[in-house]
Amino acid sequence: MDTLTAGEIVDRIKKNLGFPWRESSKRDTFKFGGPDTVVKGIATTMFCSYDAIRRASEAGCNMIIPHEDTYWNDADDVSVVSGDPSYKPKVDFMREHDIAVFRIHDHMHAQKPDFTYVGLARALGLDNKTETAPQSHHFTLPETTLGELAATFQKRLGDKAIRVVGDPKLKVSRMQLGVGYATPNINSPEVDVVVSGEQQESDGLLDSPAYVLDATTLGIPKGWIMLGHCISEEQGMLEMAQWIKSFTPEVPVQLVRTGEPFWVPE
Amino acid sequence: MNALPNANAVTAQAIVDRIKKNVGVEWKPDTVDTFKAGDPSTVVTGIVTTALASLDVLGEAVKLGANMIVTCEPTFFARADTPTPTRRAPRGLPGSATANSAPPVPAPPDPVFSAKDDFIKKHNLIVWRFSDHWRARTPDPFAQGLANVLGWSKSAQGGDPKQLSISETKLDRLVSHVKQSLKSRGGIRVVGDPKLAVRTIAFLPGSTPIQASLKALPAVDAIIAGEVREWESVEYVRDTVALGGKKSLVLVGRIVSEEPGMQVCAQWLKTIVPEITTTWVAVPDPYWRPS
Repeated sequence: MDTLTAGEIVDRIKKNLGFPWRESSKRDTFKFGGPDTVVKGIATTMFCSYDAIRRASEAGCNMIIPHEDTYWNDADDVSVVSGDPSYKPKVDFMREHDIAVFRIHDHMHAQKPDFTYVGLARALGLDNKTETAPQSHHFTLPETTLGELAATFQKRLGDKAIRVVGDPKLKVSRMQLGVGYATPNINSPEVDVVVSGEQQESDGLLDSPAYVLDATTLGIPKGWIMLGHCISEEQGMLEMAQWIKSFTPEVPVQLVRTGEPFWVPE
Repeated sequence: MNALPNANAVTAQAIVDRIKKNVGVEWKPDTVDTFKAGDPSTVVTGIVTTALASLDVLGEAVKLGANMIVTCEPTFFARADTPTPTRRAPRGLPGSATANSAPPVPAPPDPVFSAKDDFIKKHNLIVWRFSDHWRARTPDPFAQGLANVLGWSKSAQGGDPKQLSISETKLDRLVSHVKQSLKSRGGIRVVGDPKLAVRTIAFLPGSTPIQASLKALPAVDAIIAGEVREWESVEYVRDTVALGGKKSLVLVGRIVSEEPGMQVCAQWLKTIVPEITTTWVAVPDPYWRPS
């Protein structure tokens, strides 16, 4: 019987990207297991959480393709975490279940289109015709209020821990979409509202919460909706699964959702 | 009445000099704790401390007759803290469509930056940032402030307000208490079993990296933090819980987590600048969520 290895799958990913693989990427590498692992099934996932690995394994997938880190730091530097009591059982589980983890982050964002945006726009129910230029992620929505927009998006994504800054009654229509930690500038004059995943709250390059608070005081219309890092990028891992499926017909491919990590009080 | 200068007149610079002398932390050459606006030689009429010198806080200072603002976070919306925005590098990765086709960042000036700068000039305000050195004090005034507000100031373990023992509380009840005490609106987010029994707590105020969570979590049932990176501490705690660890993480937001520490700062400033009125001005939780 023919076998398909993790290394062969990575080779097919590289071949199908449409642009040369960037060997300089430290993110997009094997994080556990390696190219020789024989693959029975592939799971894409957002964060390579223990629970997602376990559920993927139960579903018959032993190759995990996460968008984000496995060892709780972006560089996946094991020395940062290896002394912690949660590290060993996670790694032991992967070893016992013959798991291979290959991260796809930098190349996913460089793909055209970037599936993280495709997936989020789909999950938010955005009409592609309202995007002002192809892949600008800038949309002109039918005019609504910041409060209604946030409530609609919360419902569509099941996003319990959504956070909003700005006046709920603010009229908004020009929306800039971001994903993950790539939150766009709130101070563009062409943007009423930014919708994205995560951003440093203060002391960064542009502190959006403080900016929106003061803009609101001044009557300058600005709103900011943070969906959460996981929810904002997880949607596109479905598109990633479908894309990988298109060139790995020998094995099943599925999205295993990491899911929102948070709950919120009443 | 005579026209001689008031013998009690204290300038903003003199106040900063007293802070440097009394803070008990060696002053760093490279620090954000500098004047951000106004003339340091101005005679101070009153001091306001705050977690964030928002326009609302500046307006409140003017109402109080205070012209010196001591803020924990930046005034001009960035670490650079300048009255005109520094051009922000496009986000996204080199070569990604994201970086190049989004609407361009406006060239400076920016209407929000400019209006704030104008307000400060119009009212002759002086803004001085106090973050690095206030944070470096022992005991940590931000943790002390949180313990005060949460009613746990006598619960510190070995006098360290960063680690507390409290009477056993289920996580969901603890979170409600934190939400109410910190007047949180939509900023609270929690990882962990709502029915987890919590007896020990660590505070990580402000913004902290994974290393801080790795250090704190093994010794406590719950971390109460301001801001962490979601791919770091949130996933770390999520994995720890999934692996059976009786642990939890309560995020309250960076600014909200620093509020009580700036209240402590006002109390401390009164002891070293007794001749001037110092008032702490609260910043409401910036976040809300749809009901």
